[in-house]
Amino acid sequence: MKIRQAKEQILLRVDLSSGSIKKEPIPEEWTEMYLGARGINSRLLLKEIKNGIDPYGPENILYIGTGPMDGVPIGMGRLSIATKSPRGCIAEGSSGGFFGPELRRAGYDFIAVEGISEKPVYLLIQDEKVEIKDATHLWGKTTYETDAALRAELKDPNFQFRYIGPAAENLVHSAMLFGNLNQAGGRAGCGEIMGSKKLKALAVRGHGGIKLYDYEGFLDAYKDFRQKLDLETSRDMWTPVWSTFGAPVLSRLFPDMGQLMTRNAQEMSWDYDKATAISSEKYLDSYVTKAKACWCCPWPSCQKLYTIPSGKYQGFKGGNYWAGQPITFGSLIDNGDLDLLLVLSGLCNRYGLDIFHVGYTLGWAMECFEKGILTKADTEGMELGFGRFDQDELINLVRKIAYKEGFGELLSLGCEGAAQRIGKGSEKYCLSVKGMELEAIAERNLLMVGLGIAVSEVGPDHTRWYPPYPCNPSLLSKAELDELGLDIDLKLAFETRNPDKKGELLRWFTISRAIVEALPSCVFLVRDSLGLDLRTWWKLFESATGIQQDYQEFVRAGERIMNLDRIFNVREGYGRKDDRVPYRMSHEDVKGFGYKKIDQDTLDRMLDEYYSANGWSLSTTVPKRSKLSELGMEELAEDLVSKGVEVES
Amino acid sequence: MKRIYVIENLCNGCRLCETFCSSLKEGVFSEAGTRIKVLKVPGEEKDIPLLDCDGKCLRSIKEKGFPTCVSLCPTGALYYADQEEAVEKRLAYEKARMTHSLFKVLAPWKWPFPWMNPEENEGQKKLGGDV
Repeated sequence: MKIRQAKEQILLRVDLSSGSIKKEPIPEEWTEMYLGARGINSRLLLKEIKNGIDPYGPENILYIGTGPMDGVPIGMGRLSIATKSPRGCIAEGSSGGFFGPELRRAGYDFIAVEGISEKPVYLLIQDEKVEIKDATHLWGKTTYETDAALRAELKDPNFQFRYIGPAAENLVHSAMLFGNLNQAGGRAGCGEIMGSKKLKALAVRGHGGIKLYDYEGFLDAYKDFRQKLDLETSRDMWTPVWSTFGAPVLSRLFPDMGQLMTRNAQEMSWDYDKATAISSEKYLDSYVTKAKACWCCPWPSCQKLYTIPSGKYQGFKGGNYWAGQPITFGSLIDNGDLDLLLVLSGLCNRYGLDIFHVGYTLGWAMECFEKGILTKADTEGMELGFGRFDQDELINLVRKIAYKEGFGELLSLGCEGAAQRIGKGSEKYCLSVKGMELEAIAERNLLMVGLGIAVSEVGPDHTRWYPPYPCNPSLLSKAELDELGLDIDLKLAFETRNPDKKGELLRWFTISRAIVEALPSCVFLVRDSLGLDLRTWWKLFESATGIQQDYQEFVRAGERIMNLDRIFNVREGYGRKDDRVPYRMSHEDVKGFGYKKIDQDTLDRMLDEYYSANGWSLSTTVPKRSKLSELGMEELAEDLVSKGVEVES
Repeated sequence: MKRIYVIENLCNGCRLCETFCSSLKEGVFSEAGTRIKVLKVPGEEKDIPLLDCDGKCLRSIKEKGFPTCVSLCPTGALYYADQEEAVEKRLAYEKARMTHSLFKVLAPWKWPFPWMNPEENEGQKKLGGDV
C-alpha cells in the first residue's frame, strides 16, 4: 500500500488534444498560502488561464481538486470544480460524495483537463495507471445510465465517478457534474466546459493511505470538532433539525416570514397548504427510503433517497431534497404537488441540469406568459401559467431543455440568455446575477444575503458565505472575539435589515468559508462556533499537515482566495457594475411584510463597506497594491498592470 | 459479553467507522487493515457494514470503553451492548420507527430532544397518538 503524507499535493495534467498525461507536484508554499482544493484551484486558474480566451476553446482548463484534509475524515469527500465560465467570470463549485478521498488514495489531488478531444472520452485512474478511454458508448446517456454502464464495465463497486449528462454534452447553461447519482457540483458552468471538451466522465480507484503529521493532535482537535457537530452536544439549534429532517423544513417556515419566493418572487408568501404539502415532514413520512451521507460526515442524514410511493409517478426514484427544490419546483412555479416536484428535480439530476437554472427559468417563462410576452406560439402550444400547466408537458419541457429542442432551446440559455434574445422588457423578470440564477434564499429581508449575492464572483452561491441567517453572537464572548482579532460588532451585523456592518460580516463569512472549502471540508458544517472561530479547523490542518503557522496567517489563506477570485474577474472586465441584485429585488418592496427593496443607495452603502474592508478600489473593485502586498501576492499587482488593469496603491 | 450490533437500515454509507478503524493501529487512513467494512451496493440503495471484530477496540478515541466505530457512528446504525441490552435497544428502535418517520434515518438514542423520544413520550400517548 502506498502511503502519502497529508500535506503532499499532486496535480495530474491531462491534455485531451494531444493525449499527454503528466504528474506535477503542487509547490509546497502554495499549500501554506492557499491550503488546497478551492484555494489551489483559484491560484491555478489565475496562473494558467489567459484572460480573454474562449471558454469553449482548447485553452480553457477544467480543474477538479481536493486537498490536504480529504482522505482524512474531515474532508467530507469535498471536491472543488473550477474553470473559466461560459459567462466569462470564474466558475467554481463544491461537491461532496466519495470521489475526493478515492482520488487522494490513488495518489493525486488535482486534475487539470486541457484541450479538446476529437471524440467522447473518459479518464480512468487506477492508482499509478491513468488512461484516456473511449466513451462513444456513453455519450448521450443520462447520469444514471452512465453510472450503471461504468459500474458494469469496471466491475469494482468502489470506483468513484464524476460524469455529465446530456445537458452538459449539449452545452446547456449551468449544466453540472454528478457522481453517486445525485451528488451535483459546478453549477457555474463547469459541466458545460467538461462537455465542450468531450469528456464524459472521470473514474478513479485508489488503494493508498494518508498519514498525518501528528495523529494524537489530530484526534484532540477532532473530538472538539465532533463536540460542536454531534446532535447531543452542538449548541446550534439547526444541527439536529438540518441533519435529520433536512433543509426543506424551510418551505413551511418561510411563507410566514415573507421569505418564500413565490410565482417568480412576485410574492414572498405562499398558500400554507401547498407549502405543507411539499415540506420535509411529508417527504420524510411518505417518500424517504434511506439516509445517505458524504464520506465521513458526522451528521446522520442531510441527504436521503426517496421513492414516490403511489400515483401516476409511483416507483420514481431519486435522491436529495434540499432547500432549493421547494422553491424552484414548488413556490416559484406555484406547484404544491410533491410527486411532480420530485420528478422534475430527479429528471434534472438524470439529464445533468442545474435545478436553479431550470426552476428560475421556468418561473421567468411563466411570468412572461402571464404578461403576454410569451404566447402559445412560442411555447409550442403549451399553457404555461403559474400553477396552470399540464404536468406531462412540463416534464417533457425539462427534457427539451436538456436536449435544446423546440421551446426548450430558448430556456436552455438560462433566464438572462433567454431574456436577451426575446427582449420586450422580460429582463426585469430575471432572478439572476452575473448571468446565473438565484438559489433558495431571499434577499430583501436579509440584507447580508442581498450583498452576498451581488458580490459573489461566480454568481449567486450562498455556500460562499454560508449560513445566510444570523448566527448566535453569544456563542463567543467579547474576550474570545478579541483573541480571534474579530473586530465586528456582531449584534449590529446580525440585524437583518440594517445595512450597517453587512460588508464587514460578509467579508468574514467569505474568508472563513473559503478556508473551509480549501481544506477542504463542507460549509454546511460551520455550526455552533465553527463559523466564527476557525481555531478548530486550524488545529485540524496543523496536526494533519505539520504546517506551523499562527492563527492569523491561517486566516489570511481565506483572504488570499477571495482576492484571487476577484482578480480573475476584474481581468475579464467584471467590476462594480456587475455587483448588483436582480431588478425585482432592487425595484419592488415585499408586499405585506414591510421589507423594502434593496435600492441602489442601500446597495452602494453596503458595497462601499465591503470593498473598503477588503482593501479594494471603490470604483473598480480591483484589490489595492497595499492589500496584495500584505497578503504576499504583490506579483499579481504587476500582472494586472501588464494586462492594462489599473491598480491603486 | 458485549459486542457490536448493526442496524443495516440505518447505515448511511458514510464510512466513518471503516476509515477511523483503519487508522487506529498505524495512524494511516486507508481501506486496509480495518475490522469493519461498508459494502456499498451499486445503485446507492444499500450500505451494509460488515464486521470482522470481537468488539475489543484497539483504541477508544471518543467514549471510554466504547469501540471507536460505535461512538463515531452518526446515525446509531452501530451499537455496543450485551445480548439482553441489544434486544431492548433493537426493540426501542423498531418501536420508534413506527412512531415517527424521523427514525427512518436515526436511532432514537441519538435524537437529543426528549419530546421526540418514544421511550419517554407519554405526552403523545395521552393525546391519543399511536405509539
